[in-house]
Amino acid sequence: MSKTKRYEIPLNRVEGDLEVRVDVDEGVVTDAWSSGTMFRGFENLLLGRKALDSLVVTPRICGICSTTHLLAAAKALDMVSGVQPPPRAVRLRNIALMAETLQSDLRHSVLFFLPDLAGSAYRRNPLFDEAVRRFEPTRGETWIEAIVETKKILEIVAIIAGQWPHSSFMVPGGVAYSPHATELLQCRYILRRVRDWYESRILGCSIQRWQDVRSAADLDAWLAERAAHRDSTIGFLLDFGHRIGLDETGRGHDSFLSYGSLELPEGTDVAGPDGSNLLVPPGYSDGATTYAFDQALISEDVSHSLAADYDTGLHPVEGVTAPVTGAPGLRYSWVKAPRYDGKPAETGPLAEALVAGDPLLRDLFARDGAATLVRQLARLTRPARMMSAMETWIAEIGESSAGDTYVPYGALEEGSGYGLIQAARGALGHWVTVRGGAITHYQVITPSAWNGSPRDGDGVRGPWEEALVGTVIADADDPVEAGHVIRSFDPCLVCAVHAIDRRPKGTQTR
Amino acid sequence: MSMLSTETPNLVQLLDSAALELLWHPSLSNLSPRDRMRLFEGLAAGEQPLDILMIEGSILHGPDGSGSFDTYMGRPKKDWVSDLAERAAYVVAVGTCAAYGGFGHQAPTHARGLQWDRLEPGGLLGADFRSGAGLPVINLAGCPCHHDVITGTLLALTSDLPLPLDEYNRPSHWYGVMVHQGCTRNEYHEYRVEESDFGQKGCLFFHMGCHGPLVGGPCNKLLWNQRSSKTRVGVPCFGCTHPGFPPPHPFFSTRNIEGIPLELPMGVDRAHYLAYKGMAAAAAPARLKDRITEI
Repeated sequence: MSKTKRYEIPLNRVEGDLEVRVDVDEGVVTDAWSSGTMFRGFENLLLGRKALDSLVVTPRICGICSTTHLLAAAKALDMVSGVQPPPRAVRLRNIALMAETLQSDLRHSVLFFLPDLAGSAYRRNPLFDEAVRRFEPTRGETWIEAIVETKKILEIVAIIAGQWPHSSFMVPGGVAYSPHATELLQCRYILRRVRDWYESRILGCSIQRWQDVRSAADLDAWLAERAAHRDSTIGFLLDFGHRIGLDETGRGHDSFLSYGSLELPEGTDVAGPDGSNLLVPPGYSDGATTYAFDQALISEDVSHSLAADYDTGLHPVEGVTAPVTGAPGLRYSWVKAPRYDGKPAETGPLAEALVAGDPLLRDLFARDGAATLVRQLARLTRPARMMSAMETWIAEIGESSAGDTYVPYGALEEGSGYGLIQAARGALGHWVTVRGGAITHYQVITPSAWNGSPRDGDGVRGPWEEALVGTVIADADDPVEAGHVIRSFDPCLVCAVHAIDRRPKGTQTR
Repeated sequence: MSMLSTETPNLVQLLDSAALELLWHPSLSNLSPRDRMRLFEGLAAGEQPLDILMIEGSILHGPDGSGSFDTYMGRPKKDWVSDLAERAAYVVAVGTCAAYGGFGHQAPTHARGLQWDRLEPGGLLGADFRSGAGLPVINLAGCPCHHDVITGTLLALTSDLPLPLDEYNRPSHWYGVMVHQGCTRNEYHEYRVEESDFGQKGCLFFHMGCHGPLVGGPCNKLLWNQRSSKTRVGVPCFGCTHPGFPPPHPFFSTRNIEGIPLELPMGVDRAHYLAYKGMAAAAAPARLKDRITEI
């Protein structure tokens, strides 16, 4: 007789509304369903509004990456009008996006992921007391520092954008404001301060030293080299993570997507990989080989979504956001199922690094696969891959207050456009159509729609549904192991693992 | 997320100094599911006192009044919130969505505020609702609400300071200030030096849709992230602290009659305003007309 149980256990500390149900048989997850539990229909709020209104509405989709939505919306309107923002504006957009991404990566790691290690499930673990000392919410040493430092980094966004979150300073043709050179000096100082903290508390070494860690063997040597490396947040995550098997959970479809991001401005000293005009290259990867990215291969399937049906997956230019009420049996999520060339795809810092061919993460992937620990390490080390370019761009425009930051965009009357970028959580796309100056079509595909997608018409699970299968759960009432897997994707949805007993009545055990 | 940017006190100091015990926050707490259920049951039974209930986000009533567009553990969130509000000494709506409904008030989502439905009292809890301490829901409007307003309210409540509310039940200390007050473009505003495109130094009120002189809010008094504000960097105020936010009109243009805004600064009559603005434009000095004065 099957001993499968289905569990309902909520997770905290994610942005938004999500419930995940898992079937557990003999302590092992055998199946999973991811459900977005809130329908907001933000895209529909834009229909009939003026084209520029997307700059106000879409940042409010999300409280933690509102600047990111703004950039996707602004790039879509750049395309509609055919305008190219001047180099100084490109730098300012990039700097604001990167500051928000640093904030998000550090908050997710220290405030959302690591506090699980200080939870009661690990009270008998030898590292538990140290995890509590570091990461207990509101009291842990690193937790408190992360509150202070992530708040500081957002001052860079406020200097450029006026406020964080929810500014609308990016407009087609550039940005609304040109910070004075003295304000950019402040940005340099803020970034230097946060970099110092990141190096001492998170890495335990300089970014320069970290960049020499290019393989799994290098990582072992780095850990052996100095106590400061082992005591760092990275060192602690690796130690604790290996003890609880985070290097053995969380593997998914091995299908990785990056839209590419951070346009290189004209005349910059920052170089993209292989002559790319983007700092973060676009591509689709199986972890070892990267293939060219083609946005025409994106579609959304709604066969398991609480959305009006289409016959086949539609490209977002044709997609609609129409909720179905009354919830037919197989439909279990308000989220649609994005697919790339018909396949589910994982996106985020790990996907970004694998697509880019990052040597350390490719080597760890070759050894451990896309494990929970590898995925989280990719996120916590992304600031090390980003801060130098950010410093360069601040310096390049900080030498004077001159240079255009806006060129008039002309008309926004007719046309279509899209903005595809890398948000902190991965691939983010906005698609817009404008007729007679008004928005007639708007579709957004968020990174968490990719990662947390429900099944598609072929019954293929979404990335984190797939990643949950095989996870060993010690205590069904506190399935913290499943939580680690989901959280390593940095879900932008308030998350709950649901469990419903599937066994015949009378055979239940607690 | 906005609240994490509070400075004096910062979040950690706030939770220490005000002798606040954070029972639960969906993003920050790490209670196990078992402990969390125990907490919720204790709150529902009245065994665990609930001094301050803070709600973020609108209350979805759709589809068709069911609330099933937004559920928590299979139950409409509106029902969770109703139950908890009955137990709380103070109920605080954080942000315009929780206060008045905000985005998505139309079908099918039917977003409502805790005690308001945009400009009409009512909402989820009803116009007559009073929390344990005898107050209506305290509305901390804004999209997002300013971080220092959230912490300031918590400090006032835990210090037993009076917190007078305005006609929309917002603390008048912060919402009795116009967003316009403290904007570094005030010189340009005063002499009617107005912009019609982005990237300039002048005022955004006449053509660019700025609501700074129309709505109350502390953006230019407290500043954001200890640094700046939208209007200072040339982004119009969209009036997000107003119960009617978001308005149906385009965000980046000002509705006007013969070049004069349809909506005038709060409390001003049209005849006097026309005379005043005509004289102001005539008196504008070259340093403003030539955009020399810094912002």
